[in-house]
Amino acid sequence: MADAAAATVPGEASSAAATTTVLDSLGEDITRIVTPVSTCMLLVVLLVSLLSSPSSPSPFTAAFSAAAGPGGGGDDITTALITAVTFVVAVTAATFLLAFLFYLRCTPCLRAYLGFSSLSVLLLLGGHVALLLLSRLRLPLDAASFALLLPNAAAALALAALSPASVPIALHQAALVAIAVLTAFWFTLLPEWTTWALLVAMAVYDLAAVLLPGGPLRLLLELAIERNEEIPALVYEARPVDPRHGHNWRLWRERTQSGAELDANSTVEVLGEVLGTNLGASSAGNLGVSAIRSNERVGLAGDARNLRLGTSMPNLSSDSASAQVEVLPASPEISVSVPEMRVPLIQPRPERTRDEEDDEDGIGLSSSGAIKLGLGDFIFYSVLVGRAAMYDYMTVYACYLAIIAGLGITLLLLAFYRKALPALPVSIALGVVFYVLTRTLLETFVMQCSTNLVMF
Amino acid sequence: MEARVAGVPEDEESGLLPRPSAAGRRPSAAAARRAPPPPVWATVDGPLGLPLEEAEGHARRFFLWGFACLPFLWAINCCYFWPVLRSPATSPSSAAFSRIRPYVVRSAIGFTIFSVVLLTWATTFIIGGERLFGPGWNDLVMYNVADKLGISGFMG
Repeated sequence: MADAAAATVPGEASSAAATTTVLDSLGEDITRIVTPVSTCMLLVVLLVSLLSSPSSPSPFTAAFSAAAGPGGGGDDITTALITAVTFVVAVTAATFLLAFLFYLRCTPCLRAYLGFSSLSVLLLLGGHVALLLLSRLRLPLDAASFALLLPNAAAALALAALSPASVPIALHQAALVAIAVLTAFWFTLLPEWTTWALLVAMAVYDLAAVLLPGGPLRLLLELAIERNEEIPALVYEARPVDPRHGHNWRLWRERTQSGAELDANSTVEVLGEVLGTNLGASSAGNLGVSAIRSNERVGLAGDARNLRLGTSMPNLSSDSASAQVEVLPASPEISVSVPEMRVPLIQPRPERTRDEEDDEDGIGLSSSGAIKLGLGDFIFYSVLVGRAAMYDYMTVYACYLAIIAGLGITLLLLAFYRKALPALPVSIALGVVFYVLTRTLLETFVMQCSTNLVMF
Repeated sequence: MEARVAGVPEDEESGLLPRPSAAGRRPSAAAARRAPPPPVWATVDGPLGLPLEEAEGHARRFFLWGFACLPFLWAINCCYFWPVLRSPATSPSSAAFSRIRPYVVRSAIGFTIFSVVLLTWATTFIIGGERLFGPGWNDLVMYNVADKLGISGFMG
């Protein structure tokens, strides 16, 4: 017994030592992306529980019923489908427009657009949510303080979301989550069938836009890869687990953009090498190692080696990293536009500098090995859970588990395929299925058990 | 928020033989060096934050913009440069921080003054209530103002 144990222990120890870095960093990476998604969902559920009462009709129901005409109530399937399709068409058009602007190298336009969108979300939506909270909870805040605090907070959070190098990372991530929470809450105010139709339509659109050769997001991504630039987008990037890989990652990014120590040949070489290399395990450590190798081979000298460590593929990562930027305008009925850039994240590249913030739809690995997830994904996950919260908490739990499982599956696929992947389809599909099953089957079962006092 | 001052980072660079590029990039070194001094990080994010050269310009910019009725920028300044605030005046890294420190300290003072004023006013408003302000209190409370202006419903 002891011998067997002793014999197995060294074997395990050696294999554990070999795989410790992979598992440790991967597990921590996943935690660092699941936590903000969960926080966003929790905040949306809280807001929905506090602010929505079943008696108060959604303000959009009236608009929808007026638009639907005498055909029926505002919340029927036809209206929902029409709205969803309109929305998807608008989003596609906006994404093509963004790709076009990116093609024209109009980065100031894109940045200005991002700034405008995040500021308007924080000011208008944030102000409304704050007012709703104050009214519902009867908090006696006076108008002068409110008028002073709201623009201040909105400006600070918008700045934090847009220029991550100027603020602590925690604040930057908090600002992105705040923008996602506000937008998701706004989406949950749509009528029920419309929300579900919208979610399904966006999942299908995401799948098509990222994976089909003509999809706008894929176009944008390829443009970015070809040019070795980053797409301005709102992307949540988890803090890199290994500080070596993230060593001066922001500094590195700025230098790369200004400097361009790599000439085109070396870039292409490294790109080819990266694409051709079967990196095997998707651990950040392996990525870092291969990055170093290619770095040395291409002869990218320059700064200290550890500086290059994370950024061995600086140009590559920045290009590939930025997937496509997609703008989500508001639904046609609402005049206030809520622009968000949604970009599918892809990026198995080890050194991806951080993009500007746009909402990105999709999942990928950043240059430093940390996982990137687009803000659009945050928003639609939270919309699903928020809508489930409007029914009952049981559906919330079921949908939360479904979404996290879908996220895990997407991460697995990301590690497997190492290219840009849409993060919406799997999670939304699982979430919708679980919602329907819970509402029809599980609830009856649990209610019968509870009323008959049968416990498990 | 970790207060990482001149901490020795966990990367492999620390303790290695001095490299001209690394030493040149870190101006926080003391005069004589047998070994390269550990890199000094002015920001709370450590190696992921701003390098020392850019920190001063950043601190000054945030300090000046804070005067545009944006006191939260002062708060961000203090939080971001927490190691600069908290490092004692005699530590080896304080020489490097000496250019950044005035701005951060003044930002801290500005934000403290702002928050004291705001909290005093808000607390007086909340606790005083109608007894102190009379019927005017109802005109100043935010939820009444919102109802009057018709913006408490979502999107008007």
